[in-house]
Amino acid sequence: MKEDALWYEAASVVGITNALNVVADGLPAEILPPPTEPGDEARAVFDEIRAFYGDMPAPFLTLAHDPGYLADFWGALRHAFDDHALTRRLKEALAFAVSLTSRSRFGTALHLGQMRRLGVGERGVMEILGVAQMFSSYSKIADTLQLESDMGAIAPVDRTPVPGA
Amino acid sequence: MTTVRIRDASEYPEAARRLFELSKAWFGYDFVEPPAMSRVMAWDPGFGGPHGRAMKRAMGPGEFTRAEKEMVAAVVSGVNACRY
Repeated sequence: MKEDALWYEAASVVGITNALNVVADGLPAEILPPPTEPGDEARAVFDEIRAFYGDMPAPFLTLAHDPGYLADFWGALRHAFDDHALTRRLKEALAFAVSLTSRSRFGTALHLGQMRRLGVGERGVMEILGVAQMFSSYSKIADTLQLESDMGAIAPVDRTPVPGA
Repeated sequence: MTTVRIRDASEYPEAARRLFELSKAWFGYDFVEPPAMSRVMAWDPGFGGPHGRAMKRAMGPGEFTRAEKEMVAAVVSGVNACRY
């Protein structure tokens, strides 16, 4: 994991996962019901979402109040989760860990289901759960004692240019 | 400023200093002083020992590689807003 490109990609997954979880956990359908008759543009996006997840996660229905926004949000999410430098399998594991750590019941269930759908077994699930739990512990120990980072020198610096430069 | 004084490795008993060698091997890096977290966890071996073993068990290769798990650990630390 030496190349910065991998970390940029991971950061996109973390960000967009949190964005989906915010709507799912903070704005359930009983507060803002989805549109009763979504238009053609929204329905076309829904088809892509169903194909991607094998299901229809509820917050996308809520976003259909603005089909243009839904399409752009979905475009960003889809790009973030597609196989690029990191595999979708690992990205679902990252999203599971992020959702678990940020106490998102929606995100934890969604990404656990996607991990299993992509072939991750119970051992793999426990591995990610264990990493999330242990590093939640280290994080809070470090914060409680206000430890200053002394691990930065381990990581090599990536001097490659920005893509397209 | 740390809440406690983080002791130098030389202030720890011999058994703990052997653990610091294992820590060096785990990270594959020759630290001048073991990382502060390693020294914190060595303060109470009754806690740090099983905690460290649980971490290594979770981080060891399995369905996911160690490198993939380091990335998971980094994003969990990020969500917890932990700079360490």
